[in-house]
Amino acid sequence: MIRRIAFTLPLLAALLLPARGEDLPYVYTKWKHFTTEDGLPNDHIFAVRADGPRIWVGTEDGLAMIDKRTGKIRSWREKDGLPWKVVTAIDVDPKTGDVWLGLFGGGLARFSGGRFDHYHQLNSGLVNDVVYGVAVENDNIWAATTAGASRYNTVTKEWTIFTEKNAPMEEIWNYAVSYADDKVYLGVWGSGVLEYDLKTGKWKEYLDPDGEMEIDLYRDDGIAHVITTGVSYVDKILWVSSYFGASRYDGRNWRVFYNQDSGLPSDFENNMKARSGNEAWYCTDKGLGAIMDFKTNTWVAYSRDPKTLRGKALVTRDKTVLEEIDLETGVPHSFMIAVDFDGNDVWVGTAKGLGHGIGEGYYPGLRTRPSIVAQGR
Amino acid sequence: MKSLTILLLPLLLFAAGPADDWEKIPELKALIDEDTAEVLRRVNAAGYYGVPELNLKKDVNYASTPADLEPFRDVKPYKEHFLLQMEYTGSGRGIPEPDDVKSVKFGFIGPIMSTVSIATGGKSHEEALGIKMLQGTQLAIEEANAKGGYFRRKIPFELVVTNDNGLWGSSGNEIINMAYKDHVWAILGTIDGANSHIAIRVALKAELVMMNTGDTDPTFIETNIPWVARSIGDDRQQAYLLIDYMIRKLDFKRIGIIRSSNRYGRFGVREVRDSCRRLGRPIAMEMAFKLGQDDYSLQLERLKSANLDAIVFWGNAREGGVILNQMRHMGMNQPFFGCDRMVADEFVQLAGHNADGVIAAFPWNPTRDDPKLARFRQAFRKKFNQEPDTYAAHAYDGMNMLIWATQVAGLNRAKIRDILAYRTRPWPGVTGDIPLSAALDDLGDVFLARFDNGGWEYHSREDLKIPRGYIPARDRVTRGSLTGDE
Repeated sequence: MIRRIAFTLPLLAALLLPARGEDLPYVYTKWKHFTTEDGLPNDHIFAVRADGPRIWVGTEDGLAMIDKRTGKIRSWREKDGLPWKVVTAIDVDPKTGDVWLGLFGGGLARFSGGRFDHYHQLNSGLVNDVVYGVAVENDNIWAATTAGASRYNTVTKEWTIFTEKNAPMEEIWNYAVSYADDKVYLGVWGSGVLEYDLKTGKWKEYLDPDGEMEIDLYRDDGIAHVITTGVSYVDKILWVSSYFGASRYDGRNWRVFYNQDSGLPSDFENNMKARSGNEAWYCTDKGLGAIMDFKTNTWVAYSRDPKTLRGKALVTRDKTVLEEIDLETGVPHSFMIAVDFDGNDVWVGTAKGLGHGIGEGYYPGLRTRPSIVAQGR
Repeated sequence: MKSLTILLLPLLLFAAGPADDWEKIPELKALIDEDTAEVLRRVNAAGYYGVPELNLKKDVNYASTPADLEPFRDVKPYKEHFLLQMEYTGSGRGIPEPDDVKSVKFGFIGPIMSTVSIATGGKSHEEALGIKMLQGTQLAIEEANAKGGYFRRKIPFELVVTNDNGLWGSSGNEIINMAYKDHVWAILGTIDGANSHIAIRVALKAELVMMNTGDTDPTFIETNIPWVARSIGDDRQQAYLLIDYMIRKLDFKRIGIIRSSNRYGRFGVREVRDSCRRLGRPIAMEMAFKLGQDDYSLQLERLKSANLDAIVFWGNAREGGVILNQMRHMGMNQPFFGCDRMVADEFVQLAGHNADGVIAAFPWNPTRDDPKLARFRQAFRKKFNQEPDTYAAHAYDGMNMLIWATQVAGLNRAKIRDILAYRTRPWPGVTGDIPLSAALDDLGDVFLARFDNGGWEYHSREDLKIPRGYIPARDRVTRGSLTGDE
């Protein structure tokens, strides 16, 4: 009997606490969907990039731009000058406003002044036309390709190729690239994360110390797995996604997240983006997993019910469910591919449409608040 | 052989799913057993947003690895991968079939044309293997067309053939073209490990099945990609058998390795090296060579000085023959073991009488008495006036698996993937039964090929009474003891 009470009391407390108010994260409860019916060229969204009032969207069959001021959507296909239809990566040059596009099998394109300039294996120093990631670093454009990384200096027009010959790439299959604080980070499939220091020109590698594919020997001994898919460096914190789990590194300690020990919807992550050292969003094959407070391992996972097509937001701490919020409209699909932040808002590219999470009243970290009541019921 | 169990959810639970036409087509009906019919119904019910209500394959042990060969076997790992089948959770199942299709295209990618090799800086070296792979694929397509082609529409199957020359990751571009320009429904290929990895990354994003029939790199399947399957036993399985024979049965103490410096050699011997170390017989010396060399005295002098009991070779047939001859010429009479690429005419012709007693791991038994295999051989000889080799036979099996899955699923890439992934029984191939693991890898039996009296003889583990380490029936994380099955 004593054991039963000891078990029941914490359970009751956990159930009651949210009603009284406790430290909980912000939850996006207002979502808007964009699909071909709204003017997108295709519903399979590979890339999304917020640039002030413009939201650039890369799809499996064209590029689109949503103008938030007017609500209008413009799109470009090959017949409109887009060099290749599959747009897998987008970044915007903050100095020039040029939009740089990674094309899946089509190389790299610059969209500027209504014109597309095309860079590919046969007319430039782009190492491969299968481009998975693109990042603007000062005057340089970095492209993560399936056969190495390329860097293009827009001022000198010089190209530099990085492969196993001049970088510590055990494999050359680059997947992601990002830039922050004078460092370029490459997520390399089979080679973990590589950090390139612009000041010293030196590389540093982040690998899984056990070196085995089929196990992760210790949870926090390094990156979760070397098959990485996304990397984001914010507030001197390195966040990483892979097809095997998520990782965070503060320069001294690693923390790895799996579905079994966190609110991560799945260990298969297509991509990720960090908002701060405390908050990062992971695009998984079973939903959008946002760690909203690192210290307390508090997550919000967004998904779409395949039968009712209603949305769901699941708030968890470790593996304890704190809130399960039913949403009339949530994310467009549970298979997440891309994410970007737009002030307090968030944009997500999915296998079936683009989602816009409206962050009215967004707050970082945790706040004491009552439970959110289901929407639209 | 690992038993594969897929327990379908109780039939009573199922009610949804569009009516399909397959029951009205006798040829198609003959391809669909009761389990497959249920899988198809559930796959069809998933649509854009759902996933089929089917249980995922779950292996109790990764790759049937004995406890004493597991990495860090004395430590309980925090996480073990590849035991639960990967799901495809995207929207592809909802894509409607196209109306205007004149043929059902499959892609082929393999090394079929001579080019420059990254590995050697000289001429490429895998065309002989790739051409056989292509021939096996072509035969499967031709036979399927002779039976009526794609049954639902009575249109032929067509093969889109591309060369995989491996330069600057060009295989990725080829997959893109096949996915987005040729609109193939699935792809078969390739052989080189690096090109295979590049290809499957593209296939993952383009959402297209890649059936591999010739790349034995164990890491090929260790990528968590739900769009990848393999119909050939990999170097891990072959290494386990080879090392069990060399150490557990023959009790060799000092083993040396000579291997090619390319990815095939580098990754091929990984399990040999690790297994020897884990069994307390660490490799005494490992030497690498560049492809295309004629003189291996540098490597062999060092191996000779290491006082070895046996030597393991991992590379192509040509290098294997040349190295073996030079070894014998230098008075090195150690038993010579190696990889499946030695089982080739080129090796035998080069090695001559030195080939006697050579033992190679091999992914199947081509001397098996099997009417399917005999029919395949006869048809291959008739069409190409040549003997089929291992690449031809595995490609024939792999393409037949793709054709079957497409016939059953219809013209939808995700459903083709599902039909393969949720298959409940081993595929009855000409290379033997092909049971797919949770990672969709071929876990069928592998063999040892011994060259004697002018020919290769194939021996199973049972034939040679090769001991096997204890294979726990529990995953490592939940196992009660570190090596046992409590």
